[in-house]
Amino acid sequence: MSTVRPPVSRPTRRPFLFLGLAALAGAALAPLLVPAAAQAHAIVIDSNPKVNDTLGVGGNVLKVHFNSRIDRARSKLTVIAADKTEVPVTLSESPDDETLVGQVTLPFTGSYKLRWQVLAVDGHTTRGDIPFTVTQP
Amino acid sequence: MDTLVDIFGYLTVVLNGINLVAMTMAFGSVLFLTCLALPLAPQLKLSADAVAEAGARYARWGGIATVIATLSSLTLNALVLSGTLEMPVLQVAGAFFIEAGIVQVLAAIAIVVVARGHMTRPRVAVLTALALVMLVASLATSHAAARPGERVWMLLATFSHILGAGLWLGGLPAFLSSLGQAQSRDEGAAIGQRYSLMSITGVILIVLGAIGISIGFIGGLQGFYGTAYGAMAVTKGVMLGILLLLGLGNFRTIRRFAAGQGESLTRVRRFVEVEIAFAIAILLAAGSITSQPPASDLTDDRATWAEVVERMTPVIPPRLESPSHDSLAIPALQEKLDKEWRDQQASNRPQAFVPGAGELPPRNADDIAWSEYNHHWAGLVVLLVGLFALLERAGVRWAKHWPLLFLILAGFLFLRSDPETWPMGNVGFWDSFRDPEVVQHRTFVVLIVAFTVFEWGVRTGRWKNQALALVFPVLTTVGGDLLLTHNHAISNIKEQLLIELSHLFLAVLGVAAGAARWMQIRGSGRDARWAGWIWPTCFVLVGLLLLAYREA
Repeated sequence: MSTVRPPVSRPTRRPFLFLGLAALAGAALAPLLVPAAAQAHAIVIDSNPKVNDTLGVGGNVLKVHFNSRIDRARSKLTVIAADKTEVPVTLSESPDDETLVGQVTLPFTGSYKLRWQVLAVDGHTTRGDIPFTVTQP
Repeated sequence: MDTLVDIFGYLTVVLNGINLVAMTMAFGSVLFLTCLALPLAPQLKLSADAVAEAGARYARWGGIATVIATLSSLTLNALVLSGTLEMPVLQVAGAFFIEAGIVQVLAAIAIVVVARGHMTRPRVAVLTALALVMLVASLATSHAAARPGERVWMLLATFSHILGAGLWLGGLPAFLSSLGQAQSRDEGAAIGQRYSLMSITGVILIVLGAIGISIGFIGGLQGFYGTAYGAMAVTKGVMLGILLLLGLGNFRTIRRFAAGQGESLTRVRRFVEVEIAFAIAILLAAGSITSQPPASDLTDDRATWAEVVERMTPVIPPRLESPSHDSLAIPALQEKLDKEWRDQQASNRPQAFVPGAGELPPRNADDIAWSEYNHHWAGLVVLLVGLFALLERAGVRWAKHWPLLFLILAGFLFLRSDPETWPMGNVGFWDSFRDPEVVQHRTFVVLIVAFTVFEWGVRTGRWKNQALALVFPVLTTVGGDLLLTHNHAISNIKEQLLIELSHLFLAVLGVAAGAARWMQIRGSGRDARWAGWIWPTCFVLVGLLLLAYREA
C-alpha cells in the first residue's frame, strides 16, 4: 500500500490571502447586483386557454403544458378576475409530467388571467400569466 | 421576504455560479489525487507528501465552499417557494431538487472529513466515490434531468461536460501548488506531463459533452446568436478557446522543461494562474446558463442575424451631448418603440418570469438616449485609459498617471447612471438602494475608485508591495465575471438579448485584461512584455465597444 504523509511545512501565502479577500469582497457584493429582468427554466409550450382566448361562463378545464418536467405538488394554477378576486382552481390528474391540469368554474363574463407557478424538476421556479376573456357560451 | 423575492433571480444565478466553481474544484482536486498524486507517488520521492496534501487541501476547501453555496441556494429556493406558494417550508423541503442538494451537501461534508491525514489508496478511493456522488447529485438538477421523454443521451453529454471540467479545470489549484513543491527537474516534469495528460482527457470530455448539449439544447445556427442560451454558450466557447491556447503553451513549456531545453516551472505556474482566472469565468458563465431555458425551446422572438448586425453597428457620431427631447431623433425613435410595444402586446406568446420579476415596461426613447450617452462617455474615458496605458508601455513617462482618468468615469457614473436618485433626483441616497440596478451601479463606482487608488499608487511608486499591484487585475477580472453572472429574460425578450450581446464581449475583454495584467506583474521576460501590450489593447477595445453601444 502506498502511503503519502502530509508535508512538514507549508509556504506562506499572505499576498494570496489578501487577494483572495479582495476577490471575496467582490463576490460578496455580487448578490446585490440585480439587472432588470429575470430568468429561469420552465416555459409554456401550449395551454388552454391560449393567450387572449375566449372561454364560456361555467365549468372549464385548464391545461398548461411546459417544456420541462415539473413537480406538480409544488406548482399551482390560479384564475384572477379583472377586479383582482381569485377564482379557485382544483388541480386534477395530468396526462404527463410536463402538464398542469385544473378544473375551474368561471362565474361571470369579463377579462381574466390564468396565473401559473411551477417548480421544474431541476429546481427552478417560474411563473407567468395567460390573459383570456370569458363570455356567455 | 419581498426584498428576497425581488432579488431572487439574480441571487440564484450567482449562487449557481459559485456552487459550480466550488464543486468543480472539490471533485477536480479529488481526481488530481486519483489520477496524479497517487500513481506518481513512487516517482515523486521527495515531494510525494506535499503533492498529495495539495490535492487534499483543495478538495477540503472546495468541499467547504460547496456546502456553503449549496445550503445557501437550497435555503433561498425553499424560502421563496414557500412564500410564493403559501406552503409550509417543511412541505417544500420534500422537493426533488432539495433532496438532491442535501445528497450533494452530505457528499461534500464527507469529502472535507475524509480528505485529511495520510492519503492512502483506500482513502483516495472513498474520496473518488464521494466526488462521483456529488457530481451525480448535481446532474440530477441539470437541464438534462428535467427534459421530458428520452433524456439518457443528454444526461451523458452533461456528465461528460462536467467531468471534463473537473478533470482539467478543477484540478488547476492543486496542480499549481504541486509545481511549487517539486524538488527536482524530474519531479516537476513528471507532475507537468501527468497533468497535461489529464487536461487533454478533460478537453476531449468537455468538447464531446458540448457537442451533445449543442445538438440537444441549441439546435440550429440561429440558436447560437438569436437566444441568450446560445450567446452564453458561444461566450463560453470563446473563453475555452483562450484556455486551450494557454494550455497548449503550458504543454509545450513542460515538454521543453522535461527535455532540459531551458524552460522553468515558474513560467508554467504563471500560465496556470491565468488559466484559473479563465476557468472561474467559464464556470460562472456555465452557472448563468443553467438558469435559462434551452435555446431549442425558444422558437419565437429570436433575434435575426440582421438585427444583431444592426445593433452592433456603431452610432456615428457617438452621443456625447446631453440628449434633448426637442431633437427630431427622439420622437422618431419613440414612435418606433411604441410600434414594437404594440406588436409585443398583440403577440399570443405566453410570458414567463421568476418570482420577483415581471413584464418589462415599455421602452422610452429618452431613457435610451440617456443610456447611450452614458455608455459613450464611459467608452471615451476607457478608450483614453487604454491609449495612455499603451503610451506608458511604449516608454512615455507622464502617461503613467492614466489611472486618474478613472475618477472622471466614477464621478460620471455616480451622477449620471441613476438621475432619479440623489444628488440629481428626488429619491434619497439610502432609499435608492432598494433598487437593485442602483446598487449595481454604485458597486461599480466603488470598485472603480478602489482600483484608481491602488493602481495610481502602484504606478507612481508610492506602493511597492506586489500584492497591491495585483488588486487591479483581480478587480478587472471580478468586473468581467460580474458581467457574466447577470440574469436573462426567460422568454427571450429580444431587446434584452441584443443589449446583452455587447455585454458578453465586454465581459470576455474584462477577464482577458485582468489575466494579462496579472501575467505582466507576476510573469517575466517575453511573457510579461507581451502581456503588457495585451491588457491596454483590451481596454482600447472595451472603450470602442462602449462608444459603439446602442440600445435601439
